[in-house]
Amino acid sequence: MEIQIGHYLALAALLFGIGVAGFFLRRNILIQLMSIELMLNAANLVFISFNRWMPENHLGQTYSFFVIAIAAAEAAVGLAIVISFFRLNKHVDSEKASLLKN
Amino acid sequence: MELIFSFENTVPWIILLPLLGALINGIVGRKSSRKVVENIAVGAMALAFFLALFSFGYIWILDGVVIDASVLKEGGVQKVSDAFQITFQSPIKGILGIQSALWQPIEGIRIIIEGGAIQLSPSLDGGILQQGALITSHIYEWFSLKFYEFQVPVFIRFTMDALSALMTLVVSGIGLLIHIYSKGYMSEEKSYARFFTYLNLFSASMLILVLASNLPLMFVGWEGVGLCSYLLIGFWWENPTYAAAGKKAFIANRIGDFGVLIGMFLLVSTLHTFEFSEISRLASLANDAGGQALSAVDSKRIATLISSFQLGPLALGSVATLACLFLFLGCSGKSAQIPLYVWLPDAMAGPTPVSALIHAATMVTSGIYLCCRLSNLFLLSDTAMMTIAIVGSLTALLAASVALVQNEMKKVLAYSTVSQLGFMFAAVGVGAFASGFFHVFTHAFFKACLFLGAGSVMHAVGAHGDADMRKLGGLRSILPKTHWTFLVSCLAIAGVPLTSGFFSKDEILLGATRLASTSQSHAWVGWFVFVVLVLAATMTAFYMLRLYFRTFSGSYRSAQATSSETDQQETSHEDHDHGYAAHPHESPWTMTVPLAILGVGAVIVGYLNLEPLHIHFNAWGDWLKPVVRDVQGGATWAPLVAMVGGFSAMAIGIGTAWVLYKGKEKDILPDLIPARLHALMMNKWKVDELYSAVLLKPVRALAGLSATFDRIIVDGVLTKLSSTIVKLASYGVTRLQTGQFTAYGLVLLLGVFFVTGWFVYPHPVIEKTEIKGANVRFVAAQGMGYQYRWDFEGDGEYDTPWGTANTALHRYSGKKFDHIALIAGPKNEKVALHMSKPEALPVSPQHARIVSPGVFAVLKDDGVLIRPNGYAIRLNGRMIKKEEVLVRPGSKGFVAGYPFKVVAIVSPKLTVKNVFGNLNHETVELEVMPSGDRRSPARKTKARISRVDLSRESIQVGHQHK
Repeated sequence: MEIQIGHYLALAALLFGIGVAGFFLRRNILIQLMSIELMLNAANLVFISFNRWMPENHLGQTYSFFVIAIAAAEAAVGLAIVISFFRLNKHVDSEKASLLKN
Repeated sequence: MELIFSFENTVPWIILLPLLGALINGIVGRKSSRKVVENIAVGAMALAFFLALFSFGYIWILDGVVIDASVLKEGGVQKVSDAFQITFQSPIKGILGIQSALWQPIEGIRIIIEGGAIQLSPSLDGGILQQGALITSHIYEWFSLKFYEFQVPVFIRFTMDALSALMTLVVSGIGLLIHIYSKGYMSEEKSYARFFTYLNLFSASMLILVLASNLPLMFVGWEGVGLCSYLLIGFWWENPTYAAAGKKAFIANRIGDFGVLIGMFLLVSTLHTFEFSEISRLASLANDAGGQALSAVDSKRIATLISSFQLGPLALGSVATLACLFLFLGCSGKSAQIPLYVWLPDAMAGPTPVSALIHAATMVTSGIYLCCRLSNLFLLSDTAMMTIAIVGSLTALLAASVALVQNEMKKVLAYSTVSQLGFMFAAVGVGAFASGFFHVFTHAFFKACLFLGAGSVMHAVGAHGDADMRKLGGLRSILPKTHWTFLVSCLAIAGVPLTSGFFSKDEILLGATRLASTSQSHAWVGWFVFVVLVLAATMTAFYMLRLYFRTFSGSYRSAQATSSETDQQETSHEDHDHGYAAHPHESPWTMTVPLAILGVGAVIVGYLNLEPLHIHFNAWGDWLKPVVRDVQGGATWAPLVAMVGGFSAMAIGIGTAWVLYKGKEKDILPDLIPARLHALMMNKWKVDELYSAVLLKPVRALAGLSATFDRIIVDGVLTKLSSTIVKLASYGVTRLQTGQFTAYGLVLLLGVFFVTGWFVYPHPVIEKTEIKGANVRFVAAQGMGYQYRWDFEGDGEYDTPWGTANTALHRYSGKKFDHIALIAGPKNEKVALHMSKPEALPVSPQHARIVSPGVFAVLKDDGVLIRPNGYAIRLNGRMIKKEEVLVRPGSKGFVAGYPFKVVAIVSPKLTVKNVFGNLNHETVELEVMPSGDRRSPARKTKARISRVDLSRESIQVGHQHK
């Protein structure tokens, strides 16, 4: 069977779905951050696949670089928040992080 | 610049040096060592004093110089080579003058001559007599005001004339001594740099005040010294009492400053100038009306100055009177006169050198300085002068009476200062400006010496804040240097003959008797001032000697156990419970040397004016004559009366003190005067309490009221109520904010689904329909992955297969139309398309439209059956009147003169399918010209449009989504 764009997209959708599920079902902020990374990488995979499918202007590759950069920034800020959150509360349970309620 | 050195440039440096010192110490002082800090501060003051002395000498040499008039060309003297004759007044001036001429003579003389502010009068041998030399240093124009056609520039410009030169010497000289003294006195202080920064800043501000050539610039200094005074009174701000004293001083001064501003505005609005020299010139012209020819502008200004000031129907006295009274209000704030004197006694909370420099020698005398500076103006108003004289003498008496009974050294000295300032103002009020200023000068020496002496005592015994005399005594042998200088200064202020106080106080009394003897209308003012001042002088002599005896004679009371005397009287200071150091020591040289210099000055500076000894030598008066107006003349008995009054006051005061206190350990004054009176005097006549009841209480009550208003109305009703309303209204929405970011993420996800769904679901939009007769071109909106399918007639049967093209072309022919409309209208009117009236139609309104009332139309299979109903119908060139006629689509004609046509209305339907197979469709309603006949539709349409106007209106596409 020849691997076609649909397969790539299906894989990306699967990854994205795992990410979404992880983000919404887990309560550990670290795991949730990892799920976000997973979603970003799924998006990357889509970009790369479409670049393969339409390689004339490398738009997909360019965008995937942007996504990587943003993911790096997001990881830096997110981890910093998680660390200071942990220092304050001695846990990383996102369900208990409701300081801004109401 | 051809000359490296010029006196023009010297004067600003007198101010800049202390300012730089303050700047450096203020920025880096905290990190520097004490040595560096004190060297910068003292060095700056020493340099400033040196420059002041130098400039003073320059003015002194040029004062009274006679210049050969023949060399005065149009633009003044040009070069050194324009050698000219200078005749000096005295040989010593000649010698010094030649030296100065070698140095740089021309620059200065040229300035003086071109300055125009000095009086040049012809001397005996055709030369020009130089009276009142001055140095003017123009820096730049600060800003400029416009009064009608007058442009009033305000300059940063410093003028050193006879008056300001003397004051500059006092400020920088005594300032230097007190800087040196502070090195010793403040040696234990933590905020050493801060103290010297403030002190330097004060000196700079005071020098700006003194040297400014105009009112606004003077006001800069005026506010600057006020600020520094506040900062230094509250120097030990950790003690809330001291901080409160600083605030009190600042607020009292602010009230006065308001007066200065009003006076300044009054002057500038009438005289159109801020310059002191110009104000003085105009005021002196107003004084000696007649004789001189006045320019039109000048005479108008002077007329306004002496005209009555109208406030509505109220005549408030002349403008000059008002200006003087307002300026005097400012002076009474700064120079501690009734009613604003209350801050000065409290100001003793500051370090003692500050009390000596600011609150005795310099700042508090700036009110008298301002009066002397504007002496010509003050002489214009009898009312103002009278007010000043009475207020001054009453202040002198009141403060002296309080000083009689006080037990703290600095408190006595503080009230003594208020009293002496009252003397000075009394002198100003009776017109003896030079005498008043003479007292400023002598007072600066002996009062600074007294304060520093008190400081030396406090330093020696380890007293903080103030020294209680009840615990002192017998310090004569322990502090010999302090003792001798203190004694000399006490004698000087008491007015013992041959000390400086004797000369200056006698001059003031002489001024009063002179007024009494010369003036008819105001003789009583002269007598009043004389009597009150003699009384005050008696008290002065008494309390000063009391202070001396209680401190220096007898035995040192703190060496014993706590005396019973201290327990008897109520105390206001915390440290009264315990005694002072058991073994006091003499202060270091940095403190005793300034004391010695000031003590010598307290004796000798009086010899500048020997008039009280009936010797005709008045260097002081002659020196100030060009700048300060002074009343002369008077009866021959006037000096004698003044002398007798002054001498007896001194003798009685000192004698009483001698008898009561010499060698006594106990203060017997409380036993001599009634207890209630003593308590009243001890409590300063309860003036503070009176002010508190009359002024503070109402203001506090108002503040409390507005605070309540703020709390209930603003905070309660306006803020709380509205916030509660918003809170309640938003209750439901705030529940959505769970604080859990996964919940927000869920909403985000839902949003993503919704937006994606929106984009994925097909949206059929027929964007454009181009109708040309029966030919219609459709354009549908494009979408990703869309497929289109058309049902042009709207009959449910698709006319095309699925295709990706978003355009379609269809020609309507045959009879498969939804319905047919008959459209008609007047020939020349714009719109003639009427919707059908249902009652006029036998058919359903959806299926026919008709105009022309009275004509009935019935829809048939192949057209519309028209019944003319009496109207003339013209169809295809044939007149029909009675019979019904079947109008086929495309026909045209007239009904009762109205043109009509028949069009078909169709409802094409577009169905769109996306890649997922979702379907959606849109229907529009069109009016098209059906091609019922064989002729070419394009040609036919064209012809129709050209013939019937209304048809264009009728071919409209009405989008009706179904």
